[in-house]
Order: sequence, then structure tokens, then C-alpha cells
Amino acid sequence: MAAPFLEVKHVSKSYFEAGKEFKVLETVGFELAERDFVCIVGPSGCGKSTLLRIIVGLDTPTAGSVRFEGKPLVPENPQVAMVFQSFALFPWLTVEQNVELGLEARHDPPERRHAQARKFIDAVGLAGFENAFPRELSGGMKQRVGIARALAVEPLLLCMDEPFSSLDALTAQSLRDEILQLWSTPDLPPKAVLMVTHSIEEAVYMADRVIVLSNRPGRVVAELEIDLPRPRNRKEPEFFGWVDEIYSLIV
Amino acid sequence: MDLHSITKVSFSQVVALARAVDEHGGQADVARIAEDVEMELDGIGPIVAAAEFLGVVTVEDGDLRLTDFGRKLIKASVKERKAMLREFMKDLPVFRYVIQLIETSARPASRQDVIDALAVHFGSHSAEDLFRALVYWGRASELIAYDSRSELLTLRTPGVPMPPAH
Ligand SMILES: Nc1ncnc2c1ncn2[C@@H]1O[C@H](COP(=O)(O)OP(=O)(O)OP(=O)(O)O)[C@@H](O)[C@H]1O
Ligand SMILES: [Mg+2]
Repeated sequence: MAAPFLEVKHVSKSYFEAGKEFKVLETVGFELAERDFVCIVGPSGCGKSTLLRIIVGLDTPTAGSVRFEGKPLVPENPQVAMVFQSFALFPWLTVEQNVELGLEARHDPPERRHAQARKFIDAVGLAGFENAFPRELSGGMKQRVGIARALAVEPLLLCMDEPFSSLDALTAQSLRDEILQLWSTPDLPPKAVLMVTHSIEEAVYMADRVIVLSNRPGRVVAELEIDLPRPRNRKEPEFFGWVDEIYSLIV
Repeated sequence: MDLHSITKVSFSQVVALARAVDEHGGQADVARIAEDVEMELDGIGPIVAAAEFLGVVTVEDGDLRLTDFGRKLIKASVKERKAMLREFMKDLPVFRYVIQLIETSARPASRQDVIDALAVHFGSHSAEDLFRALVYWGRASELIAYDSRSELLTLRTPGVPMPPAH
């Protein structure tokens, strides 16, 4: 049998302070297949961000492993890209320069870098804003830059940590729909998406599958296939059925 | 109403508002939508005004009704939405005026040139706000390109990427 696209196996994480162990994650395990759009939900402080950071290689687990197609992450070959809640843009760089930044490690010729940046600026609907500075952009547009920057490296796996939680509700909803639109475009990367959110409604709206974490230390308490047809209507009883079910698992 | 009604609103907020109305079957009370999207009435007010201005909804006695244009907008892809926006924007007097200014001026039009021209035409008290709105909606519709570093405005052929300005 082929190795899973992403395998998170027995991942635990503890911090040690003055000889005392502070457990954040406890034997977390799950798999992602190609074409999976998975959301991780869980109470505040249960280790969601820590888990995502371990998966993208920004942090190391105390125990356990993360494997892509059977192999550990190779840092110089970006198989994963991350979208941050805080956007993480450089204010002194234009939209295009911010997107190109992620490509600099690849040593492509400049023309290729420009073309790649423009392709993804266009894909997120920011064509026309190439030469704008972040301060000229609304929050939603800043996050589009963050998404374009992540996609431009053509990652196999896109990770997003509460990407909409600093946006107003209307802008957030617009971005959710646009992400889903991008996701349904087959010739665009990535092969799978893993998104952390504290909003159960957001998870049910977007995900094929929802992974529910317990209170800290985070453990997987459930994995649910959301089989609602798309586009999903947040006013329908089936939608609320799922929201209620997950809610009852968390509290 | 003119571009002023949309200076503080983004296109995605308008699209999301249309989506929210659509989820209620294409017609809903403003208060109901505000509750849905967790916004105060005074926060959603400018977005409703912008959506009305753009012809996405009609507003009557606090009731929002999605127009055919609004329905098309929701179903459209990100790129199609830009094209729809462009169709609308290119006929607005302020866009027609500034596009003509850029086309006819001997040197590349600068931020200051355009603000001055806007002040002459639309009054100086609002020229800065109007310029910001012009740049935002000009970029969003890909009618006008603005380079924030050189502060120059140029016309943009939609779909054709600008040469990188370095
Ligand atoms: N470097 C660190 N040293 C010590 N403790 C840490 C460190 N980083 C995170 N923690 C702790 O680990 C726990 C989990 O943090 P994490 O940010 O992963 O949670 P989260 O589920 O993302 O929370 P939120 O919902 O607030 O985003 C928290 O109690 C946090 O204080
Ligand atoms: Mg977090």
C-alpha cells in the first residue's frame, strides 16, 4: 500500500519549565489524502497552532513524527506553505514583492519569479494591486496576499492557522468562498488543505472532514466526514445538525 | 449617489452581503442580515449603500432584494466578477474623467495631478478621499493602475499583466 499523503503519527509536544512538564499535545494522529480539505477545531489553547507549526516544520514534536508520502519534511523543498492569522506581510514591500519573497529561496531567474507571482496575485483576485503597499489594503486583501504568497511556492499541502479570524464577518465569508473557489480549480496547487479554526461553523462550511481536538493537552476526540453538498447553506437544518454535534463534542 | 458612497467599502464585503441575502432566498430585512453577519447596523450601512450603488441589491423600507446583477455576481468566478465591476465602473463620470485625463496628458499623470483635477471638478474638500476610492476601485476593476512607489497613474488593459516596475 502506498504511504499516505500526510501522516501525523503519535505526535506529542510538551514544554518543560523549572523541571515541570507542560503538556500541549498528546499522541495526536491522523492522515490526509490527496484532495482532502480538513479543518481542525478545538478549544482555545488546546495546541492547534502548535500542531500546525509542527506539521509545517516550524516546530519539532517531543515525540512522534510527521511524514509526507512516507518521508520526513525536506526544508529546502517547500512541500508545505502556511497562511498566518496575522498575514505576516512586510509593510515596506509592495504586494508583488511580498509574494515574490517566498520564491527567492528557489533561485529562479527574475522573469520566472515575476510570472509566478503575477499568476497567483491574479488567482486570488488581486490583479491591479501589484504595486500597492499593504497599508493601502483592507484586511481581506492583505490576507489574499498571504494566500498568494503561500500558493506561489506551489506547495503540496497548504496550512492555514485561523486565516479569517481577524477579518470582519462579511469579508471573512467572502474569503471562505474564494478559497473554496480556488480549491475547486484543479490546475492550482495544493493537493490538500489543512486549516485550523476555532469557529465550528467555519469548519462545517468549508471542510470535507473535521478533526476535533480535546482541551489541552490536545488529543483527537473525533473525526467527522461532512457530507453536505456544496455550496453549503448556513441556514439549513442539516448544517446546524453538524454544528451542534461538534459543539457537543467540545464542551 | 457617486463614488463617495463606496469609499470605505470593499468589493468582497459587497459580494458577501449579496451571498447573505441570497441565503435568505434573495430577500431579507437589513436588521436580519446585520445579525447574520454579526455587524452593527451602522457598520453594515455603508456596505448596503455600496451594494445599492453598484446595482447588486435594491433597498426599500429596510428590505434588501437581490437584483439579477447581484445573482450573477454571486455565481461568477473571481475573474468574472472583476469584468462585471469593470463594466459598471468605466461609465461612472469620475472614472471617465480621470481616464481621459490620463490618456491626454503629455507626461504620466501623477497623484498630485489627479487630486488637483478632482478638486477642480468635484470640490477640494473631498478630493483626497475620492482619490483613494478611485485608486482602490480602479485597481479592483483593473481600469487604472497606480504605482504606490512612483505615485503615477496609468491605464491598464485588463488581463494583460503590467510590466514589473523596477
Ligand atoms: N513556546 C512556548 N513555551 C511554553 N508554552 C507554550 C509555547 N508555545 C505555546 N505554548 C502553550 O501551549 C498551549 C497551546 O498553544 P497553541 O497556541 O498551540 O494553542 P491554540 O489551540 O492554537 O490556541 P488558540 O485557540 O488560542 O489559538 C498554550 O497553553 C500556550 O500557552
Ligand atoms: Mg492558535
